[in-house]
Amino acid sequence: MMTEQGRVLERLLAGEFICEVSDEDGWRFLKQSANAETVNQYLSTLNRSLSSAADGQVFFAAYQSLGETERKALGSQFQEIAAGLMPLVEWLLLVQQSSGNDVPITQGSTLRSNELQTIIEDTPAFKEQLAKISRYRLFNSNSLEVVGQLNLVFKRLTELGYLIRPNPEKQIYIATGKVEYLYEVLRFIDETEALSLAEQAESAIQQGSLL
Amino acid sequence: MSQNLHQAGVKLLNALSRHADLIMQVYLSGTLQEADSNAAVVDNLKKLGVFWRPEPGAPLRLKKAIRNLLEASLHDERNRQLDANIGSALASLKTLAQHYKEALHHHRYAEAQAHLNDLTEHVYGLTESLSNNVRLLFSRINNEFGYVASIDAKIRENELAQSQVSELLNQLEMFRFDELSEVAGGIRELRHLLVVALQQSFSRCTQELSIAQARLLELLGRFREFRGRTRLLKGFVLHMEQHPDFQPSSYVSHSQVPALFNIAAALLQPAAVDVNRVEHEQDLLQLVGRIKALGRSDKPRNEERVAQPIDVQQQASVELTDKAIHQAVEQYFCEVIDTGKRLTALEYFKKQSLEFDPEVWIYQVIGGYQGLPEEDRQYFELGTELEDHPIFSGNKIVRDVELGLR
Repeated sequence: MMTEQGRVLERLLAGEFICEVSDEDGWRFLKQSANAETVNQYLSTLNRSLSSAADGQVFFAAYQSLGETERKALGSQFQEIAAGLMPLVEWLLLVQQSSGNDVPITQGSTLRSNELQTIIEDTPAFKEQLAKISRYRLFNSNSLEVVGQLNLVFKRLTELGYLIRPNPEKQIYIATGKVEYLYEVLRFIDETEALSLAEQAESAIQQGSLL
Repeated sequence: MSQNLHQAGVKLLNALSRHADLIMQVYLSGTLQEADSNAAVVDNLKKLGVFWRPEPGAPLRLKKAIRNLLEASLHDERNRQLDANIGSALASLKTLAQHYKEALHHHRYAEAQAHLNDLTEHVYGLTESLSNNVRLLFSRINNEFGYVASIDAKIRENELAQSQVSELLNQLEMFRFDELSEVAGGIRELRHLLVVALQQSFSRCTQELSIAQARLLELLGRFREFRGRTRLLKGFVLHMEQHPDFQPSSYVSHSQVPALFNIAAALLQPAAVDVNRVEHEQDLLQLVGRIKALGRSDKPRNEERVAQPIDVQQQASVELTDKAIHQAVEQYFCEVIDTGKRLTALEYFKKQSLEFDPEVWIYQVIGGYQGLPEEDRQYFELGTELEDHPIFSGNKIVRDVELGLR
C-alpha cells in the first residue's frame, strides 16, 4: 500500500497544489515540520524543494536551483499567470457581487453554479460581465448562452485547480487554496510595482459615493 | 385596587391579541399607516398606550415597552440596543433592601413581604436584562451581522458591538459585592438575592462577555481581511482599466526569483502496469474483464479483396458427366421396344461393351425404370434376378435385372 508520503510526493511532482480543501490529509501531513523535511529531502534529488504560499495554506514543489531550462519553464509559466490574472480577478468580483453578501471568495467558499446562473440571467450587467469574462483566452468560450459560458468557466477553473467538485452529480464547487495563491500573487505585484491598488479602489469608492 | 389592575391588564392584553395583525405590521414597518386602518381601533390602542405619537404630525409608533416585549420574546436581532444602566438598578436594589430591613425591624411583616417581592422582581429583572444583553450580542455575532449587506457596514456594526461590550463591562464593574453583602447583613432571603443570585449572573455574564469580545475581534479581523481582498480585486480591475497595457515585469528573469513564482513543472507521468506483480493480479483481472471484446483486428489492405467491376454475361451451360449413362439407359429401353424381346441389363451391357461400372449400370437402369412417367412405365416390366446374402439371411442382392414389354 502506498504511504501518505508517497502520495503527497506524487501529487507534488505532478505539479499540483496541496491545500486543506483539495487534499486535507496531505496538507496536514505537510504541516508537520518533520514530514515536510523528509518530503523535501526526496524532492531535492529531483532538483525540487517544498514551497508554500499564503501563510502555509498551499504547498507546491519549487525548483531548487535554477538553470537555463528551469528559467525557461518558469518564464512561460509566469506569462500564463500574468495573462490569467485579469479574467480570474473579474470572475472573482462577479461571483462576489452576485452572491449578495459581498464576501470575497476564499479557500473553502462554496459556489453553486445553478444559483449563480439564475442570478446572472436575471441581471443584464452580470450577464454582460460573464460574456466578457468567458471570451478571455483563458476560458475561450464561444457560447452565447449564460449556461454554456458558466459551465465552461467552471470546468476550466476546476481543471486549473482553483475549484474542486466534491460530488460530480451536484453543481456545487469549493474554492481551493489556489485562490489564496492568486490573492498572494496580486499582493506581490501590488507591492513590487507600487500600484497601491487598495488606495485606488478606496478613492474610487469615495468619489463614487460623492456623486 | 388589585381587582382593578387585573381587569385593566386583561383589557390591554385582549386588545393586543385582537389587533395582533396591526401591531405586528407596525412593529415590522416601524410606523402606522393611519389612512389604511380603522380610526376607532387606532384610537383605542392609543388610549391603552400601545401606540404613541412622538411629535405632532409624525406618524404613530409602537410604545417602547411593547416593542421591547416583542423583541425579547421573538429573539429579534434588529434590537441592537443594550440596556446597560446597572448603576441605577443597583441603587434601587439597595434602597429596597433598606426598606425591607426597616419593615422587618418594626415587625411590619406584611409590608416587609411586599418589599421583598419587589426586590425579588428587581433582582431577577436585572439578571434577566444582563443575560438578554449577552444573548443579543451573541445572536448578532453568530450570524456575522448578516442583517447588513456590505462588508463596510459589517465592520461598523462590529465596532458598535465592541463599544457596547466594553460599556457593559464598565457597568459590571459597579457591582460591589462587599457593599451588597453588608446591605444584606445576616438576613437569609436578602443574602440569597443580593449575593448569590447576583453573583452567579455576574460571573456568567462577565465570562460570556469576554468570549464575545474575543469573537468580535476575530470577526473584525476577518471583515478587514475581506475588505482588503475586495479592494485588491477592485483596485486591480481599476488599474487595468486605466492602464490597459500594464504588464507586470517578468520577476522570473531576476537573478533571485521570488518564491511565489518558483513553481516546478509537472514531472510525473502515469506509471505503466507491471503484470508480474502477484498482488495486482486481482485488480488487473478486473480491468481486463471490463475491456469490451470487439475482436475487430485491423487487417492489412489486400489488393485482391478490393471491389472490382463485374462483367455480367451469359453463363456457359454446364455438361453433366452422367449424361452418357442416361443415354445408354435410354438406348437400352429403345432396344427392348424395337426387338420386343426380354433382355437383361447385363446382357445388353456386354453386347454393347459399355464402359461403366456394372453395379452403377444396374442402378441406373432401375432408376431409369422408376423415373419413367406412370403411363410409360405400364408398357415395361422389370424383373430382378435375386440372390440371398451369404451371411445375413433375409437380405437379397440384385445380380441382374431383366426388362421386357408387357
